[in-house]
Formats: sequence, C-alpha cells, structure tokens
Amino acid sequence: MTQPPVVQIDALSKRYGDLLALDSVSLEIRAGEIFALLGPNGAGKTTLIGCISGLVIPTSGRATVMGWDTQREYRKTRQLVGLVPQEINFDPFFNVEETLRIQAGYFGVRLEESRLEEILKALDLEQKRRAGARELSGGMKRRLLIGKALVHAPRVLFLDEPTAGVDVRLRRDLWSYVRRLRERGTTIVLTTHYLEEAQELADRVGLIDRGKLLLVEEKSALMERLGRRTLRIRLSERIDRLPGSLAERGAVLREGGRSLEVTQAKGEELGPVLELVLQEGLGVRDLETRTTDLEEIYVGLIGASAREAPP
Amino acid sequence: MRGGSAAPESAAPTPSPLRGPWTLFSKEVRRFLRVPGQTIISPVITTVLYLVVFGFALGGNVREVGGVPYLSFIVPGLVMLGVISNAFLNTSSSMFIMKLQETVVDILVSPLRYGEIVAAMVGAATLRALVVGFLTWLVAAIAQGEILLRHGLYAILFPTLTGIGLAALGLFVGIWAEKFEHVNLVPTFVVVPLTFLGGVFYDVETLPGIFGTLSLFNPVFYLVDGMRYALLGVSTVEPWASLLGLVVFDLLVIQLCLAVLRRGWKLRS
Repeated sequence: MTQPPVVQIDALSKRYGDLLALDSVSLEIRAGEIFALLGPNGAGKTTLIGCISGLVIPTSGRATVMGWDTQREYRKTRQLVGLVPQEINFDPFFNVEETLRIQAGYFGVRLEESRLEEILKALDLEQKRRAGARELSGGMKRRLLIGKALVHAPRVLFLDEPTAGVDVRLRRDLWSYVRRLRERGTTIVLTTHYLEEAQELADRVGLIDRGKLLLVEEKSALMERLGRRTLRIRLSERIDRLPGSLAERGAVLREGGRSLEVTQAKGEELGPVLELVLQEGLGVRDLETRTTDLEEIYVGLIGASAREAPP
Repeated sequence: MRGGSAAPESAAPTPSPLRGPWTLFSKEVRRFLRVPGQTIISPVITTVLYLVVFGFALGGNVREVGGVPYLSFIVPGLVMLGVISNAFLNTSSSMFIMKLQETVVDILVSPLRYGEIVAAMVGAATLRALVVGFLTWLVAAIAQGEILLRHGLYAILFPTLTGIGLAALGLFVGIWAEKFEHVNLVPTFVVVPLTFLGGVFYDVETLPGIFGTLSLFNPVFYLVDGMRYALLGVSTVEPWASLLGLVVFDLLVIQLCLAVLRRGWKLRS
C-alpha cells in the first residue's frame, strides 16, 4: 500500500511586493525519502522551506505536515519538523550543550543524556560539549545547527544548504549521518548548491526556478532520461577522415584523428558503435566512457528555463 | 493521514506543555545573570549615585517634602527608575540581539505559542527589574538606617505591574527595531525624560501652573506616586486609580505584542 505523503503542498504562493517568490507550487514529499530541492540563488527554495517550517507566511495556498495544516495547526506541524537554516546562528551566552538543551526545551522536550551524547557523537562535537561560540569553527557551528534541528526527533528534517563551508571529510560524514537518519525513518528535504550532494543522497529531485517548480522526478529516472554517455575510442593509427557509417552515428574525430568520440543517450547500447568501428577496420587501442552527472543535467534544465522566461 | 505513519524507529520524546515557556524564561534569566555587572550591579550603582548626589549632597539632611525627609522622598522614584529602565532594556535588547544573531529563528520554528513567548520574555525582564528595584530599596534602607515600607501589597504590585508593562513595551520595540539606535530611541527620548519629569526628585504639586497640570499627563508620575504611597504612605493620586491605569496599560501593550507576533511583523517573511 502506498504511504500518504508526509508533506503535502498545494498551490502555495508567496509574494513580496512585485516579486512572486513562489508561484503556485504543488509538491508531495514521501515518507522516508531524501528529496533534494535544486535551483539557482533566489529561485524560491528557502522560501518554500520557510513556508513549511514557520518562518514565512504564505500569501495563498496550503501546506500540511502529516495531515496537519502548517498555519492553523502550527504547534502540531512544528513538533514534526526540524529546520537547519542556511545562516549560522549561535547565542554567545551559551555553550554547545546548553544550546542543544535550550532548543529541546523550546519544543517542550527534556534532552536525555543518552540522546545528547548520541547527537554530539554523530556530529563529531563530543570534545566541544562545553565550548562557547568563539571556540567553534564554521563547520562545527554548522554541525551544531543540525544537532539543534534534531533534538526533538522530528519526522521531517529540512536542511537548507547543510554543508556550505564544511570541508570534504566532514561533508561525507554528514552525508552518512543523513543516510542513517533516513534509515531510521526520518524524511529529509535538502536544498543544496552542491549538485554532487544531491546526486549522492537524493532519491528524488525537484527543480525550482523563479518560484516555479519545473520538475519533480526520481533521480535515477531523471539521469537515465536526460543523461548522456560519451564514448571516446583511442585508435591504433591516426585517420584523416571519419568513415561515413560512423559520421552517421554522430561520431567526431578528436586529437587530430587519433581518437573518435560518440555521444549517445545513457540507456543506448555501446555494442553497435564498437561493431561499426571494427567493421571499418579501425584498430582500437583504448576505450573511455564518461556519463553526464546531475550537475550537467541541472545546468541544461536551468539554461532552458532561462531561455523560455519572458525578458 | 494525521499523525500517522513514517515514524522514526526511536520514539520521539513526549513534549511537556510548560517546558517550552519555562525554557525561554530560564534562558532569558540566565542571559542577564551571565553578565550581572552590566544587568544588575551597574543599574544599582547608578541609582545609588542619584541617591548620594540628590539625597545627601543636594538635598541635605534638613530639607523635607510634604513632611517627608528628602532622602526618603526620592527613594520610591529611584526604585521605579530602576524597574522601568531595566524591564524595558532587558526585553528590547534581548529581542533585538536575537534578531541580529538570527537566533530568533530557533523560537519562530518552535511550537511555542505567542502568549508563551510574551509571558516568558516579559516574566524574565520583570524579574530583573524587581531584583534591581529591590536592591535599590535595600541600599537606601541601609544608607538611611530605616526600612521604608507602609503598604506591602502596593509595594509588590506597583513595581511588578510596571515591570510587566515596560518589559512588554521593550519587547515591542525589540521586534520593531532594525538597528541599535532604535533600541535606544525610546529610553533616551521617552522613558528617561518621562521618568525624570514624573516627580522622582520633586513633588509635582509644587510645580507652577501649567507644568503641574502637564505632569498629570505623564504616565510615569502615577507609577512613582503609587510607589511613594507604598513605601512612604503619602501620594497625590489615589493609589488604586494609578494601579487601575497601570493594569489597563499592561493589557494594551501585551495585546500589541501578541498582535505583532501573530502577524509575524518584522520577524517572519
């Protein structure tokens, strides 16, 4: 049986004066998935997250979390939602432990010692338990934000650019922690500028631009549909002219005739191209394939959206 | 589905209804207790300086106002000066700094009710105001060798209700303020002038003509006058009338705070 969506957004709009930051966005977030919301700066990602978490009051439309209305039943929905905001915030009057305990308290929850230790360990902050703001690096503060969002064990976690300013090793640690949270049943919605992050983590991706949701699709299906594979064949001997049969397949000569390159849909088989090469009597020294990543697909889609937009 | 599936394996902790506002209240109290020199000691010292300069040096030991020694006469006003300024400053600076540091987000995404936010922040600021007021009163008692107290209930109600009203006003100003200058605007141009012109250091009945009448339009006059009744047993206006006005003021400012929080004015987009 299909589970009902954890978050349901119906025709949600947000207007700031003349600017339509969200334009009738409808979206469903499924239970237990990692959903990546992608889009350029100012696309409406943070506004959309803000509408659900309580930071933004929508102009029209409706959002629900597990069936509760985010406006009328805000106490219920906020108990279910955790937000890691984009901007680092830290109260210098309190240390890491106090900050986490205070945040849990705001949600009416007493932070048990075991839970506190679990969060500190998962976020590699055990050694900084009593540290104040000045003793924390940017990456540590960002991890603390994640800890703050988790103290009340939310069902849905919104991560707004969670790994900005975090080094590569910690980014990978955070990714593995996000996966663990998902395994334990937490639904994750993340916005990110690191397309690699979305490619690594997301089950589904949504693309938003100028307040409009352009597409929502399974990441694997999207990459299969829009992804391209480039096959580069290094030849045993240099050739001056491309055989006609290969030219018809869209092949082009590279490296002054020492190699040829064919780009085709990701799902298409490589065998027929290789057969043609051999049939034309060309010797193959080496083969190399490269598939387009999510970033290239994203750039293509955003570029198309920009071309279609009115001037 | 309402509150249905998609539960994490580890059960979410059960929220307790009063823990939220209590956490905000205790956080606000700890915040001002972390810097006692700035939040408690400094205001008390300032008030004691007024006591020394106006009470001893300028007032002398022989001068009386309405049969009350001048030193005793200014104590209620000085207590209220401490209460008014500290209640206002605590909420206005705390809210403004939370906005500046963006830690206000932590409260805005929480399930705290608007009334709980107001109660917690106003409660903590009122506590600070009462501590400063009490210490001022205590220092005055030690300096004079005499405990000034005539009506205990009024002595509790006037500073408490004044603290609540000014703390709520401070909360509103903290929400409205976009720069530090805004936070200082109200104390500098409204609270301090009204307090000084509210009869802290003189009897408004002795003011000539129009000035005496104008003083009756100064709300701080009623607070000082009421506290004077509580500590010295003398007042210009009936204390219950002043108290009634104070309650109305408190309710209005609290409603204002609730309205702006409900609308998300200056806090939510």
